[in-house]
Amino acid sequence: MGEYVIETQDLVKVYKDRSGVVKALDGVSLKVPKAVLFGLFGPNGSGKTTLISILVGLQLPTSGSAQVLGFDCVRESIEVRKRVGLLPENYGFYESMTAYENLEYLGKLDGIPVQELKRRIPEVLELVGLKEWINSKVKSFSRGMTQRLALAQALLKDPEILLLDEPTLGLDPQGSTMFRKLMEEFVKSGKSVLISTHLLHELGYICTQAAFLRKGKLVAQGSIEELAKVYSKEKGYSYELLVAEDVELLVKELMKLEGVIHVSFENDKVRVRASEDISDELASLVGKFRVKAMVPISPTWDELYQFYQGGGWE
Amino acid sequence: MIEKVLIITKKEILENIKSVKYWAIVGLFVLLYLSSTYAIGFALRGLGQQGIQRRERVVLTLSSQVANTMSYIAPLIGIALGFGAVAAERDKGTIRLVLARPIYRDALINGKVIAAFILIVLAVLASTLIAVPLAISVQGVNVTLDDFTRLVFVTVPASLLALAYYTMALFVSVNAGRSSQALVVSLSMWIFFSFILPIISSFIAFQILGPPPAMPFNATRPFQPGQGSRQFAEYYGKYSQIVNTIQIMSPNARYTSLINALFALRQSGSYETLTSSLGARWLDVVVLLFYIAAFAIPSYVLFLRRQETR
Repeated sequence: MGEYVIETQDLVKVYKDRSGVVKALDGVSLKVPKAVLFGLFGPNGSGKTTLISILVGLQLPTSGSAQVLGFDCVRESIEVRKRVGLLPENYGFYESMTAYENLEYLGKLDGIPVQELKRRIPEVLELVGLKEWINSKVKSFSRGMTQRLALAQALLKDPEILLLDEPTLGLDPQGSTMFRKLMEEFVKSGKSVLISTHLLHELGYICTQAAFLRKGKLVAQGSIEELAKVYSKEKGYSYELLVAEDVELLVKELMKLEGVIHVSFENDKVRVRASEDISDELASLVGKFRVKAMVPISPTWDELYQFYQGGGWE
Repeated sequence: MIEKVLIITKKEILENIKSVKYWAIVGLFVLLYLSSTYAIGFALRGLGQQGIQRRERVVLTLSSQVANTMSYIAPLIGIALGFGAVAAERDKGTIRLVLARPIYRDALINGKVIAAFILIVLAVLASTLIAVPLAISVQGVNVTLDDFTRLVFVTVPASLLALAYYTMALFVSVNAGRSSQALVVSLSMWIFFSFILPIISSFIAFQILGPPPAMPFNATRPFQPGQGSRQFAEYYGKYSQIVNTIQIMSPNARYTSLINALFALRQSGSYETLTSSLGARWLDVVVLLFYIAAFAIPSYVLFLRRQETR
């Protein structure tokens, strides 16, 4: 295994159905580094679920290859599944069985000894806030509780990587907070998480690296800074200045700078948009105009999503 | 590998044993069997046979009722266990959680088939062991150990019939998009073999042979024993031959034939030996085993090849 825990090379997945041939993945080459919270973003039908299914061996690639922790996802999928915890998008539990019985069954299939399961099951249920429902039948669970149980089953074997497909669907705000904390702790312990979602406003900000999928193609991947840089080069750079006095004078001065596209202000806040990086020029104005603070504004996840889904970078 | 198969088998058995569906089918058998044997006993008494004096006659009546009732219920046990085996796991999404574990796909299907085999034998045995003693006590007759052994031995062909339907339903389940689809197709097969094929074969036999010979009847003379019986025997002999030929590949017909062989009587009134009964009806066993293999093997292969795309 190199520096990446997940690597794919020119991954292609073609389905044949009644409507014809569908290319779910089209030459995807993804690299997920170790100990990061990696976001896999894209709208419904962009290939996220197919990619995750291939990584755990639920589906086979039409061509290309994929490795998880250095193990080939086709030839060594058992080894992959020993080390990966999966929360699929479409899943279900045995409703006539209790939370404990469901986890016990899945844990045994994971190869966890019974004695360890007796300790581990209450532990993971506690983590997801379901301990008091340990002996309740799953059919009595709400959508949010089932989602928590799904997270518990993914954590059960204490995996090295978590693959989570739309993990916060159905979770209430309290559940979402629990989830984010849990994921941050998981990554802190040196493990990796791949989160596939289209809910960027909920999960985007906890990710430190991301990839964008569009119609089966990987349109961008990298750290948030790298992704934002590409965005800024195309869409422009934004800054916010907090000014003590002479706001109008500063605005006039800013308009004279080369590359400045738009300047707006409200009370003591001035916003500048430029076609190029003007942070050095702005820094020179800091002393002149009693600027209290000057911060470059990073694009929001929604802006990045719109940008990469709109074809701004390929 | 075998450890994972056993985990799946155990879970499947426990889940089904706790289900209402499973015991409802057993209950249905007991109910149908008791009511039909009671009705027959009642009718025979009504005909003045004084509580059915001939012991073997009662046992044969009971056995034919076991066979009759089981020929409807055993396929339903098989279908109930088979139609959802894979399709329902896909519907519910449990299959994705299970197959995300370090197990081979064949462990899942092997575990399910072994569990189904155990559950079928258990259901058939439980049904028979509850219903037959109850029916015997209702009829008020003593049965010998040989009678009872044979009545219990009925569970072997019944289990084979249920397994044949299980593998058919499993095949449909592996290929179906939804469990509801699998249920409809499986029940259609049951309806075809249980109701439609017997009607079709009778219809064809009547079309080939024409109407049965008329009974010579003269009201001024007493009826002569044996009168017209040769013609009847010939006609119905041919009729049975045609019907049996058409139904040669019907699991239900092969099951009934096997049961009849188990209770075939010698001239002396004692039963034929089990080996000679089974030796004469080896084709019935082969056909039932053929169904099991013909559907189990493709189900296995197709399940291994299939990917979880939903």
